[in-house]
Amino acid sequence: MWRRILGSRGVSKFRRDKFALVSLAVIVVYLGAAIAVALGAISRDETFARVGPNSLVGFFETPTVEQRIAYTDFYIDQVRTAGERGDDALRALDVYGLEPRFSEAEAALAVVEPLFERFEAVAIASEGDDGLDAAGLARLSEVEREARTLWVEPSGWQGTKRALSLQLGTDRQGRSILLRALYSIKVAAQIGLVAALFSVVIGTALGGAAAYFGGVVDHAIVWLYSTFSAIPYIVLLMVLASMFLGSPVENTLIPVYVAFCMTFWIGPCRVIRGEVMKLRELEYVQAATTLGFGRMRILLRHVLPNTLHLMFINFSLLFIGAIKAEVILSFLGLGVKDQPSWGVMIKEAGQEVIGGFFWQIGAATFFMFVLVLAFNVLSDALQDAFDPKHVG
Amino acid sequence: MQERTPILEVRNLSTSFRTDRGVVTAVDDVSFDLFRGETLGIVGESGCGKTVTSKSILRLLPEHLSFHSPESRVMFEGRNLAKLSERQMRSVRGDRIAMIFQEPMTSLNPVFKIGWQLDEALRYHTDLDRSARRRRAEEMLDLVEMPNAKERLDEYPHQLSGGMRQRVMIAMALCCEPDILIADEPTTALDVTIQAQILRLMENLKRELDTAIILITHDLGVVAQVADRVLVMYAGRVIEEGTVFDLFRAPRHPYTKALLDSIPRAGNRRRGQRLATIPGIVPNLFELPAGCRFQDRCLHVEERCRTEEPAHLAHGDETHPARCHFPLDHA
Repeated sequence: MWRRILGSRGVSKFRRDKFALVSLAVIVVYLGAAIAVALGAISRDETFARVGPNSLVGFFETPTVEQRIAYTDFYIDQVRTAGERGDDALRALDVYGLEPRFSEAEAALAVVEPLFERFEAVAIASEGDDGLDAAGLARLSEVEREARTLWVEPSGWQGTKRALSLQLGTDRQGRSILLRALYSIKVAAQIGLVAALFSVVIGTALGGAAAYFGGVVDHAIVWLYSTFSAIPYIVLLMVLASMFLGSPVENTLIPVYVAFCMTFWIGPCRVIRGEVMKLRELEYVQAATTLGFGRMRILLRHVLPNTLHLMFINFSLLFIGAIKAEVILSFLGLGVKDQPSWGVMIKEAGQEVIGGFFWQIGAATFFMFVLVLAFNVLSDALQDAFDPKHVG
Repeated sequence: MQERTPILEVRNLSTSFRTDRGVVTAVDDVSFDLFRGETLGIVGESGCGKTVTSKSILRLLPEHLSFHSPESRVMFEGRNLAKLSERQMRSVRGDRIAMIFQEPMTSLNPVFKIGWQLDEALRYHTDLDRSARRRRAEEMLDLVEMPNAKERLDEYPHQLSGGMRQRVMIAMALCCEPDILIADEPTTALDVTIQAQILRLMENLKRELDTAIILITHDLGVVAQVADRVLVMYAGRVIEEGTVFDLFRAPRHPYTKALLDSIPRAGNRRRGQRLATIPGIVPNLFELPAGCRFQDRCLHVEERCRTEEPAHLAHGDETHPARCHFPLDHA
């Protein structure tokens, strides 16, 4: 069985296409990530937790002196302000994956205060016209090192996880960009899957029924989708999204699903209606009628299986379409609300970009770009390999 | 014909379509009988109503676009098929009356295996269990002389040639042993050698299963080969009816005569002589002339033909009627 499938012309052609295999691997990795996140590898709370200083730059950019001072300020100031408020505040100090080395406020302040004074001196010096000289930089490095010793770095898996979560930097609230971008894979896959699946099912059912039964049914369905497609798509999405404001599902993904399904079914519906109109006149459908089969049976067993390729194509188009639409909708503030998504990240990055901080928008668009590209390359390759019109 | 009760009795069948330009009657007052074990040929030019007649019998025309006149009767086993409900009709289709089509390339569903498609009809109309149905499907393929029947069951339609697909179609149509098989131009899309094989096959099957066949074709050669009786249709009407022998030897209607004359014959044609054709075209069904529908193309047209339409039995010979005021005399 496997041997026959792997040896068939289409599959072996596909296996020779390097781009196709790479994109397939990419998609598998994405799906794996989505499943892992869904199973709890990254929790929603982790994506909202503060993991370090604000606007930490990612791994292949060296921070400027200004940024280094800001980061050091974070590590020192957290312990200092908590220490001034007492033991309880110090113990409650919560930076994801990190704990202050002290549990007694007094002991903490004894170490932090002198360090803070040295830090202040360096910070003031750096604001001068010439910036820091070599000696100043050495003092800054020393302060940085000592500031890190105020905290206990987790070891083992926790340590790796923490190190990874800082790799793409943090946003303006000190949340890990990598964790948020990874978590967004799940959100994207979820939205793409649900929206595409339901849209294709609804579109196929309505399009098939319209074409096969004709008459009043056809008129009603055509009227319905003409009406829907006459309304600009974004406006309809906005209306639908705002309809849910104040309802208990407002902050879930349900408004997004509903909005997408209500607009996306039109595409498959039109295509399938056209195809079924052609198919129902074909002789094998008439032959099925002459064999005495009922109309539902003919529609489900003889007509719709012949539109499977259209369902697949529409599914893959809508899957990507939904992911892209989610980004637009979230950017407008109408889409995903209580969890990170690429759209939410791009929206939040809006203000950062002006300040030259590109890590968040870069990560969100890169993750999305790779997925969309892989999907397009894969569907192209699948067509090349399996479309009977492209034999050779 | 001896005194037998016909298995199918079609009386005054009229089928009309609602179109944007008004109602058009494609089949007008057609009556005929079909007897068990007989092959009835229906011949005529394109658009004369052959296919509509056969589809009207099985009620395969779109219901919202077409209708029968109230006096139309299609009597089969004491029931009028024109008046049955869709549900009752389904138990007739396939099980009692089956049909095969012109285009074998598209007559089989491309996404299912041959075996599955044969099996489906049996599953629908019989109580046989899985293995029995599989055996029956194999038998049917053997019966239609399909080579390697057993392996063919697991093949897809695209793996078969046109002739083989037509055999599968015939096997599907016959697997429930219907009383009547309607074959709508079954050999038109096939090349001549395959055509001969399929016709011989239908002939054998008819004898073996005692099925009545309605064979629709525009090919008089095919009719001469397999039909027992022939209906000639023109512009929605039956214009002549008779045994194949009577009709070919002594056509009564000028149209039948013209059709027969237009068959090219090898050998007895002078060099440069044009093939015989029938001048003019079939009248537009929206603007039928008063009187005989063949008047504009008839070589023997007279004044009476322009005003009065001839009756079915215009000249009183019940075994060989023709709708003509001046039937050709071959005495």
